[in-house]
Amino acid sequence: MSRGRFPRLILLASVFAVACTPAGRSAPKASSAPPAPAVPSAAQPSDRGPTAQADTIRESSSLDAARAGQSTATPESSPLKEIYFDYDRADLRPDARDTLRAHADWLKANPTARVEIEGHADDRGTNEYNLALGAKRAQSAKDYLATLGVAGNRLSTISYGEELPVCKEATEACWQRNRRVRFVVTTGRPAS
Amino acid sequence: MTRKTSLGFWLALVLGLGVAEGLRAAVTGVIVGPGAQRYPIAISPLKNLGGKDDGGRISTGIADMIAQDLERSGWFRVLDRSAYIENPQTSGITLGTFDFRDWSTIGAVGLVKGGYTVQGENVTVELRLFDVYEGKQSVGKRYEAKARDFRQIAHRFADEIILFFTGEQGVFNTRIAYVSNAGGRFKEIYVSHLDGSERVQITNNRTINLFPSWKPDGRSLLYTSYKGGSPLLYLFSLFSGKDIKFSSLEGANLGGKWSPDGKMVALAVERQGNADLYLLDQSGKLVRRLTDDPGIDVSPTWSPDGSRLAFVSNRSGSPQIYILDIASGKTTRLTFSGSYNTSPDWSPKGDKIAYSSRVEGRFDIFVINAQGGEPQRLTSGARDNEDPSWSPDGRFIVFASNRKGRYSLYTMQANGENQLRLTASGGDDTQPSWSPRIE
Repeated sequence: MSRGRFPRLILLASVFAVACTPAGRSAPKASSAPPAPAVPSAAQPSDRGPTAQADTIRESSSLDAARAGQSTATPESSPLKEIYFDYDRADLRPDARDTLRAHADWLKANPTARVEIEGHADDRGTNEYNLALGAKRAQSAKDYLATLGVAGNRLSTISYGEELPVCKEATEACWQRNRRVRFVVTTGRPAS
Repeated sequence: MTRKTSLGFWLALVLGLGVAEGLRAAVTGVIVGPGAQRYPIAISPLKNLGGKDDGGRISTGIADMIAQDLERSGWFRVLDRSAYIENPQTSGITLGTFDFRDWSTIGAVGLVKGGYTVQGENVTVELRLFDVYEGKQSVGKRYEAKARDFRQIAHRFADEIILFFTGEQGVFNTRIAYVSNAGGRFKEIYVSHLDGSERVQITNNRTINLFPSWKPDGRSLLYTSYKGGSPLLYLFSLFSGKDIKFSSLEGANLGGKWSPDGKMVALAVERQGNADLYLLDQSGKLVRRLTDDPGIDVSPTWSPDGSRLAFVSNRSGSPQIYILDIASGKTTRLTFSGSYNTSPDWSPKGDKIAYSSRVEGRFDIFVINAQGGEPQRLTSGARDNEDPSWSPDGRFIVFASNRKGRYSLYTMQANGENQLRLTASGGDDTQPSWSPRIE
């Protein structure tokens, strides 16, 4: 750059298409109403038996929910509930293992279901570290489901770190809600 | 680049209007060093030397901006303009055309006077620094620029004042890149001048954009974005507006930092839940993996000579700062006090590393010698203070603090003194990255 001169910042309206739907993920539906309750969740044993198949479920990722102005919490209707972690830990607590065993049963009963496992963190600490911590949490859940017999190719992981909290109060109760792994379920034929 | 995109023109930049070099040594000791008495200086509004009447915008605008810069440095006490005796529009701006007693009477030791001429879109500005006790001129400069860029002239002259007193140019003509959710709930990247002007929104994709970091030439930013669904590293050129995916490494790409020579990038990549450090070349291609540890390794920062990286790892059980010698691969732990130490930034002088540490549930900024030793705490008692980034001269640190509610950016001297707010966007401003000097 020649001394004594420097260019002005170009203010490009770098509006990256709002509709940039990530490949291989469900599109952000404008009307992301929770899907009709398909099957009883694993926590509520089905009277249709363990082989009951889900109707089509297309849950939005937390990022897509945030972009649609919706809560990043797991919808009431979701068959797979969140699991929770201790501060700065990614190992599975006994309550998380119980929940994951039920998830494994549901996934075996719904063999077309695929799950994106989202790792999240509370907002204390640095964003980089919390992204890595969320990734470790998601991987812990994935690894445990695999040991319970769920095929790895039905499970993907992503970390959102501290970026998509379900609450923002500086209280232990809220931090605990954010230290979570969420399971985003898609059923039916594979997208491709 | 075209003429249209150039930011002002600095033709006839320095005419050296009679600098008294001998004064430098005499005053250096007065203002440098923690706890030193601040140097009392008066900054007179500029005199209109006969061009177009702009309603005093440049006259007071330049004086205000120099005053703001000098206050931010922490080394000066700018005297209140209401106490000034002489009329800047009727008194002279050169030696012998005004009375130093008008300034010594109000306690000024230093004095800045100047004049300007607006012609069309352009302005010519003369600025002079005087020593009131000695009755001498210390610095004199003449600048020409687009009138709308008058702030840059003020910063240039403030940098000259710092140069005169300290032997090293100031950093007021720099920018800060940072993350803000001021536009809504989404975190986007912004760049603004150190004085808060020319705030430019770099990303607008309504996802999550993080970790902006300058290339050493000041021409582009690396950042991490979820705009493609998962976190990847992008490179945004500030001049062309071009935005490219920088790395196509498989996995989540978390932050990236240019080596000081601008030839390599260190970044953390997460695969199968494990984040490690990787080295890329300047086109984003993998050179090699730098760490292979089951713990989290993130947040690399280069030593100024490019031979080492400080980074965060929880391999010992909690996040701590480590130093990796790139050639040998040898890793040593740097921090031992505190159970949560993150966001290291290596001083451009090389001697210190700033980081944030959790103390009794709150985060504060610390610095530690790069060789190790006892950390020095720079912030305390003001809620959370995080994400330190050094100024290019290593004399200041910008950081994010929520001491007044939402997170805003603040600057302070490298010893923690003179903590001053920089941004107030209404949202949370975090993850600042101080630009290199803009030539």
